[in-house]
Amino acid sequence: MHATERFPNLATAIVLAALVVLPFTVPATLASQIAIFATGALSVVLLLGAVGLLSFGQGLYLGVGAYVCGILVRDAGIGLIPALLVASLSGAVLAGLLGSVIVRRHGVYFVMLTLAFAQMGYFVVLAFKSVTGGENGLSGLPRQFDILGLSIADPLSMYGFMAGAFFLVFLLVQRVIASPFGSVLAAIRENEPRSEALGYPVARYKTAAVALAGGIAGLAGGLHVIFLGFVPPSDIELEMSQRLLVIALIGGIGSPGGALIGSAFYTIVSEALSEIWPRWMALIALLLIGLVLFLPGGLWSAGRRISALFERKIAHD
Amino acid sequence: MTDPILIADSIDVRFGDFQALSGFSLSVQPGTIHALIGPNGAGKTTLFNALTGARKPSGGRIVFDGHAVTRTSVHRRVHYGMSRSFQVTALFAALTVAENLRLAVQARYASEGWIFWRSPHRRHDIRDEVDALLAETFLTDRADTRTGDLSHGGQRSLEIGMALAGRPKLIFLDEPLAGMGIDDVHRTKGLIDSLRSRMAVLLIEHNMSVVLDISDRITVMAAGRKIAEDIPAKIRTDPAVRTAYLGSTA
Repeated sequence: MHATERFPNLATAIVLAALVVLPFTVPATLASQIAIFATGALSVVLLLGAVGLLSFGQGLYLGVGAYVCGILVRDAGIGLIPALLVASLSGAVLAGLLGSVIVRRHGVYFVMLTLAFAQMGYFVVLAFKSVTGGENGLSGLPRQFDILGLSIADPLSMYGFMAGAFFLVFLLVQRVIASPFGSVLAAIRENEPRSEALGYPVARYKTAAVALAGGIAGLAGGLHVIFLGFVPPSDIELEMSQRLLVIALIGGIGSPGGALIGSAFYTIVSEALSEIWPRWMALIALLLIGLVLFLPGGLWSAGRRISALFERKIAHD
Repeated sequence: MTDPILIADSIDVRFGDFQALSGFSLSVQPGTIHALIGPNGAGKTTLFNALTGARKPSGGRIVFDGHAVTRTSVHRRVHYGMSRSFQVTALFAALTVAENLRLAVQARYASEGWIFWRSPHRRHDIRDEVDALLAETFLTDRADTRTGDLSHGGQRSLEIGMALAGRPKLIFLDEPLAGMGIDDVHRTKGLIDSLRSRMAVLLIEHNMSVVLDISDRITVMAAGRKIAEDIPAKIRTDPAVRTAYLGSTA
């Protein structure tokens, strides 16, 4: 148990190597999307993997981050980094507020509340058309940014920025899971009443985890609009929550590295399939069924199984 | 006589139409082992749940170490110095034995659980305390075993260790010997007996020879009421107790 939780570890090296190789294997714009949705999926990995909370509503915080970041860089004229930080903070604050209510319910009621709030978010966007642009979204965002004298305009520099952001969040999630705070989250996942009986204020811990996950999703939303150059209303639709969940499950929620594999798989497959068959989601659904039945730990755990086999072979030789 | 560590006054607990506890009063002296006995369904575990906050009573008042705790949350009572073991083993099955104890010790340091920027293993004081608890509960060579793979007796010992980790002023032990082998019973009895010097013990236990042997005071319950309370020698000969409880097993 301790060996897999050590930090930084082999997973960190694999993820870093994958991020470096990615733009040379797929087009840089596709690679950027992979990094962005991997960041969003990290919020699911944190909630579902570390605390055991199934949220159907992470798209809400991603969407809020997207709109906040979009409005800030277009109208307030503030820099890229401050805009992303505020986007992330908005996701965290909203998730913290809603979370303090939601975490008091368990199981299916918890899931239904996350779903209901996420659905509400979309209608709020439609209702305040003058601010959000309604179904048209927000356009007219700047297409070029400067950070520390480096210009982000072409697809490759854009990817470098997105990959860097993902890697920072990946390190954060890894660090949190392997910390005393993470150990309390694991205790809550394993046995919530016992954690309370030991003296941990469980509701407060869960709210903190929900807020942190909201902040991560908010950041992913901000990154998405920077990449696109506009705010698509689909960022706050229910489909976004679903996508993040599917990505996390395909990759595997047992490790933050799963988010990147899941996102790469989902993004590449959807890109390739959507051109030849508009009903490509059906294949993703089939794949998800197969994973749940035969590889519950996701693609990341397949890698771990193979490496375990390999180590055994070396031990034999 | 010193002030009681725990005073429960006229506790009522209802489950729908069923009155599980009616007007139950109890006081526990510091540094004593106080046993609760009574037939199944007498309301012993319900009383534990009410006293530790797992189930709020519908009436009555609980004072613990000078704090009125009747409506206080479970985790706050733990910080006042209450801690409990469970009748049905409730451990973190997927985690190691040492990690179970580490979590229990860590819970005592209110701020430690919020630290997210370093490994838990940096706290050597916590690790030393875990080692001491492992030794005390005879689990040292099982430290790295996954808790779910531990023997039943081992899990019962760990239950006690988890409760001890809170360094309580009063420890609630719910049938700590249930299902233990004869050697484990003997060792665990010795452990409970030794706790008296550090804390008060409120004990639910069906093993009468152990209860009569180590308790300073025994409260007998039946159908949600107290039917007797005295020192073990008197309880042994109490006619009401013999009919209600001992009579059925003797």
